[in-house]
Amino acid sequence: MTRDVAGIGLGLRYDLATELLERQPKSVAWLEIHPENYIDRGGRYQEMLELAREDWPVVTHGLSTCLGSAEPFDASYLKGLGTFLRDLEIPWHSEHLCLGGVDDRFFHDLLPLPFTEESAQMSSQRLIEVRDAIGVPLALENASYYAPQGPDGLAEADFVVEVLQKADAKLLLDVNNIYVNGRNFDFDPKAYIDKIPMERVVQIHVAGHFVRDDGLRIDTHGEPVPDDVYELLDYTLRKTGPVPVLLERDNNVPPLDDLLSEVDELWKIYRNATGIVDAG
Amino acid sequence: MLADRAKAMQRVCFGAEPSEADLELLGSRERWLVYRDLVRNRLNTVIGVALARTKSAIGEDAFGRAVDEWFDTGSPKTRYLRYVPSELSEFAIPIWQLTETPWVADLAGYEISAWEVRHGPRNPESVGEFAFDKKPVLAAAVKVLRLAYPVHERPTPKKGYEPKPTILCLYRDGNHKAVPQILNPLAADLLEAWRTTDQTVAESVQTVAAAHNTDIGPTFIEKLSTLITHFIQEGILLGGHSPPS
Repeated sequence: MTRDVAGIGLGLRYDLATELLERQPKSVAWLEIHPENYIDRGGRYQEMLELAREDWPVVTHGLSTCLGSAEPFDASYLKGLGTFLRDLEIPWHSEHLCLGGVDDRFFHDLLPLPFTEESAQMSSQRLIEVRDAIGVPLALENASYYAPQGPDGLAEADFVVEVLQKADAKLLLDVNNIYVNGRNFDFDPKAYIDKIPMERVVQIHVAGHFVRDDGLRIDTHGEPVPDDVYELLDYTLRKTGPVPVLLERDNNVPPLDDLLSEVDELWKIYRNATGIVDAG
Repeated sequence: MLADRAKAMQRVCFGAEPSEADLELLGSRERWLVYRDLVRNRLNTVIGVALARTKSAIGEDAFGRAVDEWFDTGSPKTRYLRYVPSELSEFAIPIWQLTETPWVADLAGYEISAWEVRHGPRNPESVGEFAFDKKPVLAAAVKVLRLAYPVHERPTPKKGYEPKPTILCLYRDGNHKAVPQILNPLAADLLEAWRTTDQTVAESVQTVAAAHNTDIGPTFIEKLSTLITHFIQEGILLGGHSPPS
């Protein structure tokens, strides 16, 4: 049976799993995993997932079924992914709106799509294809990007909305990505948020990012969440209502107590913005 | 249009030298070189963790050249980051066999096998009890390695390893670590027979003992019993399935 996912969650990562699973902090309401790290894998990862599921609802966030490639999906992978996801009894699964590979080669990073009609059409078709194949609700996530778009495309927010509408899809709204893109390409993140159909948002991501000497912001998930991203989260939650929020921390992982301080800050924002008082 | 851009991204990220034509097509030379660094750094990190001793033995420059050549001519076919070091090793070990001191290829093979055991698949969920008239069921993460150098011995000697034929069983222990266990040739053949044939335990013991010209007498039975007990205790041997009738 699908378990309720609400409030503030944390990404289950190898570097913090031991302490997290032992202490089981009550402020962490749910966990997110990357299925690629667990599918057909035993050992510590299998144990981590089994222990996590004893205490928390789990949501999945894919890394490799990026929606922007022009090539056919690996049908056997999607079949296995669907089986894995249904066994986990997740409420939804999410994938990135980006390019993850070409010619059967994987970048293991998230490369940007051109924000064009052609790209929106293809991505929406692929989203539908994946959703049908895995048999669970599928949300797309807006990605960060560092290379400027061509002059003939859509604004990023319009592109994302176009794909959502064409595919009638749900959205995992990453507010850190919007903030990073806004700073790198000089647009107002709140104006971006204003364009999003809030009824489609099922989950929110927040994270920290790295600022290079030249000012370019890189979405590393390796720094504490900055105040500006907290503020953008507050702005977003006041529009979405109580949508579950995940703190992503994948690199430079600090002691668990440091992360739990960030979780507490997120709860404060969540309660203030949504009026929810009894969660967590 | 999209396909052309995607292929240009691939060449920029994995090619030996990104071409100015591709960078111009993509639109921002500086920023696409950022992507090149991000992609390569992530892959280099996981490869360096999996093959840490090999990298140290070869040196960063020579190791990096092999990785760069693999990026240029192959690059990851796997969507699973944990399998990236295995794909690199498949490409690089034959090169290191020709270019490096002889034990380096053994070391790389040992390290990548340990990595694969540690991150290997789950064990089958339902396994019957072990019996000599059943087909044995091994843990999913078990490998037999036949090495010319004892590269599992640490630390790496300053003057390198001296030749010493060594057979190892690598398995995942209860703490999820890859553990090496020295095997004699008969035990290694038995373990491999259990993995690769459909014979029962009794049949495989007879086949392997005959191949080694070994009588199945009381001493052999006693040693076999000790070996099987050890394999079961260590989680290498999970039990048995009845052969199809």
